[in-house]
Amino acid sequence: MMTSAAGPSSKHQPPLGLPMVYLVDDEPVVRDSLAWLLRSRRLLSEGYASADAFEAWLLARDSLADWPSAPSCLVLDMRMPGTSGLVLFERLSERGLLRALPVIFLTGHGDVPTAVATVKRGAYDFVEKPFSDNALVDRIEQALVQSAEVITARQHQRGVERALAELTEREREVMARVTAGLPNKLIADELAISVRTVEVHRARMFEKMNVRSAVELSNLLRSAP
Amino acid sequence: MLWAALVGLLLVAQTLLVMLTLNYEEARAQERSDDVAAAAVTALRQRTQSLLQAIQALPAKTSYEQPWSASATELLREHPAVGRLERRDAHWRVVETSDSPLRSPLFERWPRAELDQEAETTCAAALRNNGARFSRSQFVPGASGQGQEVVQLCQPLIDGGTLTGYALATVVLGVLLDDLRLPANARAHELSFVEADGTRLARAGAVRGAGIYIAQRLLDLPGAPLQLRVDAAERRPSLIPNVTTALVLGLSMGLFCVVVLLVRDGRRRARAESLLAEALGFRKAMEDSLSTGLRARDLAGRIVYVNPAFCAMVGHDAAALMAAEVPPYWPADEVQDYQRRQAERLAIAVSNLAKTPVSPLREGFETEYVRPDGERFPVMVYDAPLVDGQGQHTGWMSAVLDLSDQRRVEALSRQQHERLAATARLASMGEMASLLSHELNQPLSAIASYATGSLNLLNRSAVPAAGGVADGVPEPDPELPGLLHQALTRIAEQAERAGRVIKSVHDIVRRRDQAFEVVGADQLLDAVMPLVRMQARNSGTRVELHVPQPAPRVKVDRTMVEQVLLNLARNGIQAMDGSTPAGQRVLTLRVDWVGAGGMGGGASVGTPGRGRWVAFTVADAGPGIAPEVAQRLFTPFFTTKGEGMGLGLSLCRTVIEQHGGAIDHENLPRRADGSGGGLAFRFTLPLAVPRQTAAPALPDTARP
Repeated sequence: MMTSAAGPSSKHQPPLGLPMVYLVDDEPVVRDSLAWLLRSRRLLSEGYASADAFEAWLLARDSLADWPSAPSCLVLDMRMPGTSGLVLFERLSERGLLRALPVIFLTGHGDVPTAVATVKRGAYDFVEKPFSDNALVDRIEQALVQSAEVITARQHQRGVERALAELTEREREVMARVTAGLPNKLIADELAISVRTVEVHRARMFEKMNVRSAVELSNLLRSAP
Repeated sequence: MLWAALVGLLLVAQTLLVMLTLNYEEARAQERSDDVAAAAVTALRQRTQSLLQAIQALPAKTSYEQPWSASATELLREHPAVGRLERRDAHWRVVETSDSPLRSPLFERWPRAELDQEAETTCAAALRNNGARFSRSQFVPGASGQGQEVVQLCQPLIDGGTLTGYALATVVLGVLLDDLRLPANARAHELSFVEADGTRLARAGAVRGAGIYIAQRLLDLPGAPLQLRVDAAERRPSLIPNVTTALVLGLSMGLFCVVVLLVRDGRRRARAESLLAEALGFRKAMEDSLSTGLRARDLAGRIVYVNPAFCAMVGHDAAALMAAEVPPYWPADEVQDYQRRQAERLAIAVSNLAKTPVSPLREGFETEYVRPDGERFPVMVYDAPLVDGQGQHTGWMSAVLDLSDQRRVEALSRQQHERLAATARLASMGEMASLLSHELNQPLSAIASYATGSLNLLNRSAVPAAGGVADGVPEPDPELPGLLHQALTRIAEQAERAGRVIKSVHDIVRRRDQAFEVVGADQLLDAVMPLVRMQARNSGTRVELHVPQPAPRVKVDRTMVEQVLLNLARNGIQAMDGSTPAGQRVLTLRVDWVGAGGMGGGASVGTPGRGRWVAFTVADAGPGIAPEVAQRLFTPFFTTKGEGMGLGLSLCRTVIEQHGGAIDHENLPRRADGSGGGLAFRFTLPLAVPRQTAAPALPDTARP
């Protein structure tokens, strides 16, 4: 589980940025009122008048690999002139952004079946207009939590990968045997080195991986395969 | 002129013909006389020649072996014309004499010696010529005053160069002529010898000559030329028979000409007649095939001709129309007006006729005619003056067009158009609802957001930093009044916007000028039945209809009410679908008279008395509805169906209420055997104010 690995790994990870809600709706009134509402709940938001505008902003970034680095949520109007919310949703889905950027659809009357289908395809939720506002904000906050978790997990994994990359060949061999549960003596025999040397490698490996015991190490490796 | 020339020509020809015929006949007769004369002369010559030869053959000497008498007798027998034959000697003495045995002796009364002198002269001349010779003719008187003209033939008898005597024959001229054997055509002629001065010497022939066709020939007997005269008994050809023949001929020729002319004339007439008949048939077919009514009137306005289309149009036959004093197709109560108008119109036409014969009437005018059953129908009438072959104005020809079909089509297309528009409006209802929800969603969402946000802010300042993300320092937010002001301003704006949307939608939904029409309740049901039955068939539902006869009539916007019926029927069928056993699916459509007040009381429903309202009931045998559903049944956008919009029943109520009626529903009681039950919708519509002709008995409605 995330929580078991979060403690040790978060120690040397940067804190997440401020949560950000992206509002994509062609109606300025809706954007404005929602932004106002979010602000009243101390949430930051950015409004985009169309799917194209949002996508352009998104693609202007250098890389989308680590984006978003802050918990994010996209509130997307399903029906818009030009590129519709559905199309934008599909494109985000293709880019694999749906986990880190949960999408909440705003739907009008009669779009419910479509909205249900999008949820099945990975949308976080849909809210029918007119919506119950604080409930929507609650869902947004839940989505932000999910986003934060995803981003944290991703950063944790990146940390583990970075640590693994720093290991030497010998240290990696020792780690494989430690996680397999072998005592130092057997490891020394297998690698044809002295027990002392094994202990040194093991200590350095533990330091690099930022763990204190073999149990912690195996937990860490399991959490970030 | 031609005839006179023809007759003149004919006359000339006839005259010429007659003249030529006469001439020809005369010439023929003359020719016959000439022929006879020629034949007679020839025969006489032969006879005399033969006589001469016989005389010459007489022996000059008599001998025993050859006695004179023998020769003489033979000669006398041979030639009956010779009356006496004498032989005289050289000294003129009579030696022997022989009388003809065929007749009485010639010289019984008259002495022979009377003739001697002449005989001597003849004989002397004969002797000189050395041949037989005739004397001139002499008359020998006979018994009873009759006499005969004779000539004497003297032949000197020479024997051996010496004169031995004379043979003297006395030839009776009459017998000579008689004795001629002439052809048959000579019988109609009288032959005679005449002297140069015309004195007749002797004659022969069965007839007397007419003295017209006379032919004379000279018979040159030696010594005594005789004139033979042939006189035809034929008279001049008679004019009469020839003229008659000619007349008959001429007349028959004339007749022939006339016949030829007649035949040609007849043929021309027949041709003209067939052409005429063809043209007439063509015209007749044209008139009969016209769907335009044609009517001809004389100057007094009486009908003289109508075509079948006109008869069919007004429903009277041609004879009745022509016999009528006042056209029977004029509305009886407006005859005066029609007469006055006709007079005016014809007067205008007459005054204009002189200038322009057609133009003012070409435009036609519209009026109304009446059929025998009292039905009025609009017509268009075009008049044109009727001018006969002599250029005389004899009346008026009118073309009459029945406009009722046109009117009907116009009305129908108008209705169709309205119905289409109504249907389109209904069809767009769904779309409009969608649009409406979208339009209203925006401001409503915004309002809700601003309001919620404001509440959030207020809550936050009242319970500072309760569970907030902020640092938890309890301080009143100095921006709060400004933020709230902003939010409330926007809320007001958006509320106003929502109001505008509602208003514009209301304008769209507002009914057009309502085209109400009076229709029978059965007609309304008939209109929706095909669709209802189709749906019913698909779900195996039986449809029952109960309509009183005569069906009550209602004044409604037909399309809308039909939609209501259709809606209710569809609801009923859908309610039974799935929930009711197939055998019990019955949809009942019922029409009743109800008393004043419509729904609510319900006591009068189904009672035989007729009120001011008509109730339509659509009942199904489905499960009915729960009370909480029933409460919201007519609420807009409330629906129990998956795909429905929830507009149907609310729209139905709107329509019915616009008609002044009411709609309600009730759950039907379920019977003990499990059948029955279901839900009945019932709506009322005001009864149409009955026209005088319709609805024969309305006992409980007040009639003035």
